[in-house]
Amino acid sequence: MSADVAAGSQSTVTHVERLVRQTAVAVRGAFSRRDGRVTFAATSVSYLVVYLAGLRHLGLGPWGFEVSVVADPLARATRLVSPFQWEPVALVAAGPVELLVSPLNVALGAILATLVGVNLAVSVVAYRGPKACKIGPGAGAAAGLPGLLSGFACCGPTILLVVGLQASATVLTVFQWLVPFAGLALVGTLLWVGTKVDPDA
Amino acid sequence: MDTTRREWLRAVGGLGVVGVAGCSGTGGSGGAAEGTDRTDSETDESTSSAGRPPTADQSLYLGHDVETISDNIVSGGVPKDGIPAIDDPTFGPPDEAPLDPGDPVFGVVRDGEAKAYPQRILVFHEIVNDTVAGDPVAVTYCPLTGTAQGFERGPVEFGVSGRLVNSNLTMYDRGTDSWWPQVLATAVRGQMQGATLQEFRVVWTTWEAWRAEHPDTVVLTEDTGFQRRYGTDPYGSYNPKRGYYASDRTLFSPLESDGRADPKRVVVGTRTSEGALTFDKETVLAERVLTGDIDGTQYVAVADDVLSTAYVYANPDAVTVKAVDDGYRVDGETHAPDALPLDRTLAFDGMWFAWAGFYPGVDYVR
Repeated sequence: MSADVAAGSQSTVTHVERLVRQTAVAVRGAFSRRDGRVTFAATSVSYLVVYLAGLRHLGLGPWGFEVSVVADPLARATRLVSPFQWEPVALVAAGPVELLVSPLNVALGAILATLVGVNLAVSVVAYRGPKACKIGPGAGAAAGLPGLLSGFACCGPTILLVVGLQASATVLTVFQWLVPFAGLALVGTLLWVGTKVDPDA
Repeated sequence: MDTTRREWLRAVGGLGVVGVAGCSGTGGSGGAAEGTDRTDSETDESTSSAGRPPTADQSLYLGHDVETISDNIVSGGVPKDGIPAIDDPTFGPPDEAPLDPGDPVFGVVRDGEAKAYPQRILVFHEIVNDTVAGDPVAVTYCPLTGTAQGFERGPVEFGVSGRLVNSNLTMYDRGTDSWWPQVLATAVRGQMQGATLQEFRVVWTTWEAWRAEHPDTVVLTEDTGFQRRYGTDPYGSYNPKRGYYASDRTLFSPLESDGRADPKRVVVGTRTSEGALTFDKETVLAERVLTGDIDGTQYVAVADDVLSTAYVYANPDAVTVKAVDDGYRVDGETHAPDALPLDRTLAFDGMWFAWAGFYPGVDYVR
């Protein structure tokens, strides 16, 4: 019995290792091509912009050039203002564009944006490659949607009015879990996409 | 808008090219003269002990029992102090405030000292722990119920609990951590459960009107100690009205629904120890005088044409209050709308659904 369990665990580990290896090969392959790199860059930057705009950290404001920083930015940066949202420590204005800098949200957005970008780059390369697999390029991008939605969840609750939902404990709980769900979904789709790619192609 | 907020901040010494917001740690009084426009009935003095906000001698009427209110408190989706109160407010001169004439402000006058708190700032903070005319006060605003109210805070500050009841801001005091729904001004949880805060009038008006009436006013600046994109209201806009403020839907279920008016219709309401009463704001501004009653006692609402607000007075003898060109005629004499020879009760603007939810069956005069 225990031998079976051990064998099963080993098999799972081996399977995951192979999945990760295949995904790594797929990612390297995607980045070796220009269309993969362009897709990654365009998608990642776009995602980060929309994520920050969703948080209302990025947007248009009165014309000006300015950088202003709060007192004690290090302490402020880790102050949670809502689930997966932290206190902005600086305001950067460049022309009509305003950016509230919340370092942890920028980092979180960058991680999600990178995952979305990699997903889409691998999908696009696989889709356009000579041994095209049946991978729609939207798979990875769709996984990033919860991350975007989470940006609108707090402090911009009028999205609930737009979609016709009334805030309830359930809705608020769902919103709280959007970011971790997005992260897991993005990693999951990336591994899944990896399985669809023939490393020898 | 003639002046950007950055220019204004520079003008009041806030920021340069690289600035530090809220680093001063200095108190927030504007430093104007002191005096009072309060009526005794609005700010009954009572004892205050250390670590507790001062409380009123008389409890206010509640439309539900305290336990029901407490049981209906829900998370607003943010943690305690996730919406940070302004604890070190700073004030600037009116000339360069980055406000449009029609922007809503919440005005306070005490002992001749006039202060304006722009809605565009308070929507991000909801509570300002301030000192006006030497008195520690909290000026509070709940965006979801459209209510701006002032409370004496004594030695303690108030914070935003992150909880709501009937969509209304639930404050907590940093002395006892009791929870105080703003509209009720009554603690519904904690050591002070059942106690009632001392209140004072906060006038919801426009920047243009406030400035015309109080040219010496000071204005809360955006140097709040926090970085926010002030001017980008997450709920919509009042100037012009759109988003949540114009929608007929609420974000959270009200305690009670009442179809006598649109949920977001603005009413001027008052509550005493005996009951509550609401007047349709648009109607009172048009008609100038409206009357209603609480528990058999007449109450009269009169319009302030300059500030586009209304005041409510108890009128137990049902004396005639007549609107005339320059004020209101009572017993053969003319008086300003905020100075009738009657006992003024605290009244404030609010969305209909909020009043109807907290005070089921409340009389609605229109």
